[in-house]
Amino acid sequence: MNKAKKITKADLAQMNAIVSEYSQQKWALIPLLQQIQREFGYIPPQSMLLIARGLGLFTSQVQGVISFYTQLYTQPRGRNVVRVCRGTACHVRGGKTILKLVKQHLRIEEGETSPDLEYTLETVACIGVCALAPNLVVGDHVHGHMNPKKVEQLFRNREVRE
Amino acid sequence: MQAITITLDGREVSGYLGMTILELAKESGVEIPTLCHDNHLTPTGACRVCLVENEQNGALLASCVTPIASEMVINTHSPRVTESRKTIVKLMLTSHPDSCLVCDKGNRCQLRQIASDLGIGLVELQRIPRMTSTEEVNPFLERDLSKCILCAKCIRACQELVVEGAIDYFQRGFTTIPATLDNLPLENSECTFCGTCVALCPTGALMEKDRTYGGTTKSTTETTCPFCGCGCSICLEVKDSKVVRVIPGKEDPVNHGTLCVRGSYGCDFVNSPDRLTKPLVKRNDTFEEVSWQEALEQVAAGFKRVKDEQGSGSLAVLGSSKCTNEDNYVLQRFARTVLGTNNIDNGGRLYNSASRVGLRSSLGFSGTTNYLSDMEQSEVILVIGADPNSSAPAVGYAIKRAVKQRGVKLLLIDPRQTGLSLFAHLWLRPEIGTDAALLNGLAKVIIDEGLLDEEFVARRTDNFEAFKESLRSYTLEYVEKITGVTGQEILALARLYAKASQAAIVYGTGITQHTTGTDSVGALANLALLTGNIGRKGGGIYALQRENNGQGACDMGTLPKFLPGYQSVADAQARGRFEKCWGASLPAEAGLTTLEIMEQAEKEKIKGMYIMGENPVLSFPNSRLVTEILTSLDFLVVQDMFLTATARLANVVLPAASFAEKEGTFTNFEGRISKVRKAIEPLGESLPDWEIIVRLADKMGYPLPFSSLRDVTSEIEKLVPSYEDYTDSEKQDELAYGETGRTYDRQFLKGFARFSPIEYVPQVGQRKSDYPFTLLTGTTLYHFGTGNRSSRACRLRKFSPQSFVEICESDARKLAVTDGEEVKVVSAVGEVTTMVKISDTLRKGMLFMPFSFPETPVNALFDIVLNPETKEPSLKACSVRIEKIPVPLGERL
Repeated sequence: MNKAKKITKADLAQMNAIVSEYSQQKWALIPLLQQIQREFGYIPPQSMLLIARGLGLFTSQVQGVISFYTQLYTQPRGRNVVRVCRGTACHVRGGKTILKLVKQHLRIEEGETSPDLEYTLETVACIGVCALAPNLVVGDHVHGHMNPKKVEQLFRNREVRE
Repeated sequence: MQAITITLDGREVSGYLGMTILELAKESGVEIPTLCHDNHLTPTGACRVCLVENEQNGALLASCVTPIASEMVINTHSPRVTESRKTIVKLMLTSHPDSCLVCDKGNRCQLRQIASDLGIGLVELQRIPRMTSTEEVNPFLERDLSKCILCAKCIRACQELVVEGAIDYFQRGFTTIPATLDNLPLENSECTFCGTCVALCPTGALMEKDRTYGGTTKSTTETTCPFCGCGCSICLEVKDSKVVRVIPGKEDPVNHGTLCVRGSYGCDFVNSPDRLTKPLVKRNDTFEEVSWQEALEQVAAGFKRVKDEQGSGSLAVLGSSKCTNEDNYVLQRFARTVLGTNNIDNGGRLYNSASRVGLRSSLGFSGTTNYLSDMEQSEVILVIGADPNSSAPAVGYAIKRAVKQRGVKLLLIDPRQTGLSLFAHLWLRPEIGTDAALLNGLAKVIIDEGLLDEEFVARRTDNFEAFKESLRSYTLEYVEKITGVTGQEILALARLYAKASQAAIVYGTGITQHTTGTDSVGALANLALLTGNIGRKGGGIYALQRENNGQGACDMGTLPKFLPGYQSVADAQARGRFEKCWGASLPAEAGLTTLEIMEQAEKEKIKGMYIMGENPVLSFPNSRLVTEILTSLDFLVVQDMFLTATARLANVVLPAASFAEKEGTFTNFEGRISKVRKAIEPLGESLPDWEIIVRLADKMGYPLPFSSLRDVTSEIEKLVPSYEDYTDSEKQDELAYGETGRTYDRQFLKGFARFSPIEYVPQVGQRKSDYPFTLLTGTTLYHFGTGNRSSRACRLRKFSPQSFVEICESDARKLAVTDGEEVKVVSAVGEVTTMVKISDTLRKGMLFMPFSFPETPVNALFDIVLNPETKEPSLKACSVRIEKIPVPLGERL
């Protein structure tokens, strides 16, 4: 589902179908954006114009709402979202190095998604388990007491494949 | 309404329910600083500078969004309030650059003003600069978002006032900025460069870019915009006798704090180096500068000679729909008493005479029936043959606001896609020139389905039966066949229009400039009458005027058939009144209209002509012929600001002052009379138009009794109906805002409105195989009129330097022409060279060209085909073909 692909005519038709469910109802913008994101894995920029017209909004307004919420994306996301903690506790325990290593392993920068759509790398301010610092989260799973070796284990298959 | 009393700074004051603390404070003379507040915008409480303290519970409230409540105790300047305000402003300053010394906003910066009012000296907080840069290539405005305080005035102006929605907040937290879609430069967005946001921005974040003249404003003058028929109020900011900036005026019943790109950035033509500063006399085919004395003597002698040799009937005068009412009034008096001829007309003939005649015969009132502000009460707005977004932007804004903010249904009839198409509830695209048939079809549906306002039709109109009979043949099938619009759409539109309790009609040159313009106007009036939408707030007919004083010039009697105030020259009684006042006998037979003047000149019946502020060579059809005719005249005098294509043909050219250099009034399309005030002294030796005419009359031995403008206005007040007390601004406001003006009380001037049976006549000059395309002409937003002024406005010219012809993609492919390629557009009478622009706004077989580029006179393509009733030439559509320009051999390699 998350495969980055060109938006086809069928996709546009699907977007239109979703938008038409909420025709001219401004309140529905956020649920509509969420639905589109569920279907496509992200909010394709092409859909913004359709959404704006369908709901009677300006395209800039739709973009404004999307860019406000961290839950909404205009870029495809990786199957695994890796969040490296840069909170205070993790920082003093070497979180910065962990982030550097993850970047090296995944070959992407913060905020980026790998071209094969396997990983998206983000940082997070604190995940609340400072006792396990330094932490990182892959998907829903928290990995505590991180060290270079554990990072390598986590992403080893990545390197083998490449 | 229930009064609510609160204690404000220890004083009891009362307001009404729903009023905000800020509003009440302002009314009570208490000043509260604000950054994000503006009367025209929805309050949002974004800047928090206006906060006040509620003494009862200690809450700090943003006064611009807090409604007053009974027995509130509010302090606006307590130590706590001041301290909090200071902190807020300091926080803004931490991320604001310290470039105030060189910032062009200078003392106009509201952030700096408030900071200094609050006594903020050094900001002790750590600086958090906002690092943003945006690159713009447009010549109009520049964004430096490091100075942005996120007050959202620009965003609200764009979304609420101009309804373009080019920008909104983007991102969040520290990285928030107002941005276009994908944060692209403005020229790649929907932005129309109206300048409204620039005028509202409290800091230097939005600034004018390529300023024609630098420096700090020394004086400001409130006056009226000289471009389109909207008549927006503008403020001219002046330094060293130069207009340095134009912002929306404060008294603005029409524009509500907005302007368009022409108003904001087009007025620098005033200080153009091309302005004529001395009278010119042609000797041996070259112009020589002479003194006024000499020039006027030449003109007087010239006209005397023609008059003595060939009689008054051989003279003709053209007034101007761009000059003031007073200029036109003096000119027509000059023509009628000094020259002794009714051969006087004005350039408005080219676009508004169909309205004048059509509406007059139906409603007995020749102009727009309602004020623009009434449109707020419409349920449905029908726009036909008009692109107000380009031709009358303030009207466009009002329509878009109605649709967006009040859910008004917009019904659009236009073969071409315009800026309003996206806002339309229903959009019909009839074949060009078939409006009358379509409108008749609509009327028939309304009658057949019993959707008409029977009481209104019975009590207020006559000739209904004949009208009904005339519609018999306009069945859905028949209309469908002519117009190409489906029966379903016709039914839908008729029902929407007729069922609305208030429905307004807006039309423009897409109706009036066809040869059948008068018919279509009559058909529109029939629709409004059928549904009782005349004399009703929210209903009515809005006849857009192309130029600032198209309405006024006609009101003032620069017309061959009418004395000022539409009093017929044939009416002995009316003539008597003017003869008594003017102390001269007046010619009783109607004179010639503009194009008839040209015809007669061709036949050598007209030998001398006086043209004030018009440019027939470019504005009339068949430029080549017009040029020949004007060249063949014995004596031609042109009075203009510039050496126009017409002025070049003159024997004497008299330099006229611009709108910024004279006093007077313009009458806009609604009939609202707005003041024109002098901001700078006339350039060089130029003089206001009326003064030139008065001097000339002196020289000709028939002095006019006008020693000051006051003399002119008091004579107009005395003699012209509906201009009584027009210089008294209080009375004017009453007229404008009260309900007594116009036809609101359902009283028509003639008592009864009259249905006029209209027959659809196919347009002359249908497509032929040699000329397979139908060319439409119209206004573009970035230019105006014949381009005489807008092409001398540096920024407009820079942004839109070149004429173009729009063509749809499939036609372009068929002709193998590409975007940007130069081609020839050829009609039966002329040809022009222009650039191809592929556009999805057109259908197959249609072309569109703007007419405002002096180098590419589109009117050269038009033959002189006159509307039989009004003698208005057809200038909207003609048949043409496109020819590729062969590439010279040498360049092919």
